[in-house]
Amino acid sequence: MAAKKKGFKRKSGASSEIPSSSMADIAFLLLIFFMVSTVFRKEKKRHIEWVTAESTEKIDEKRKNILHIWVEQDGTVYINDQIVPYDNISDIIRPIYAENRELVVAIRGDRDVPYNQINTITEQLQAAGAVRVTFATRVEQRVQRARR
Amino acid sequence: MPILNRKQRVSDEIPTASMADIAFLLLVFFLTTTVFNEEKGLPIVLPEQSEEQEVSAKNLIFFIVQPDGTVVVKRGESEQEQVVQYRQVEIILRQELAQNSNLIAALKTHPNAAYRHMVNVLDEVKKAGAERISLQVLEE
Repeated sequence: MAAKKKGFKRKSGASSEIPSSSMADIAFLLLIFFMVSTVFRKEKKRHIEWVTAESTEKIDEKRKNILHIWVEQDGTVYINDQIVPYDNISDIIRPIYAENRELVVAIRGDRDVPYNQINTITEQLQAAGAVRVTFATRVEQRVQRARR
Repeated sequence: MPILNRKQRVSDEIPTASMADIAFLLLVFFLTTTVFNEEKGLPIVLPEQSEEQEVSAKNLIFFIVQPDGTVVVKRGESEQEQVVQYRQVEIILRQELAQNSNLIAALKTHPNAAYRHMVNVLDEVKKAGAERISLQVLEE
């Protein structure tokens, strides 16, 4: 017992401070990790007027599973920055869908595009088998109506 | 020359104690300024190309979207047509769904109608809580 008591009195050689000299290294490591692991979509933004909808939902899908189809006001269709004629959409989508069965196609159409164009796209998507589609919209803020 | 002999008091080392703060500041700055444009929209699952289902007319309600944005409502069985503004679609469909939960909301859009009119009506249909939605183009 006496020996134990002696142990308590022994002076500790270890410093009681947290070493802060390596903190900078840790922080820079984190910084570099996030910089390297962030992947940005390379696709160019198209100029469209968004459609708005009140019931807009957030699409909970991995970024790599989403393919954008842009439809500009004049009706030109862009997939991955390339103009695609309407008849070729299914031929382009089919290999992409074959590679990734979880594909979700987001149609980003201009608000003034005639519906005929959009319908052609959905038909082409059906032909390619890619049936999970979203009509990309922006949240609409309307004046609150009286809800029963 | 007493000046030359004076002892230099200033430390010639770069202070490293604040390095961590600088690094974390950078880290937090980049974390907060990075915006991911998240995916938003109205999801819908298209029918497979091969599957065509026969539905009885009484389970159908048509919303025909006109080029000017008005909506013609047609119940499956009756020939009666009702012209409404798209904002009324939710209320109409809610009432119909309360009576028949198997109801299919069929959106028929005129080929020349602007995309936004169709989305407006689809929005209303979604808000009404319809599970079964069919998208078609109006054949002339």
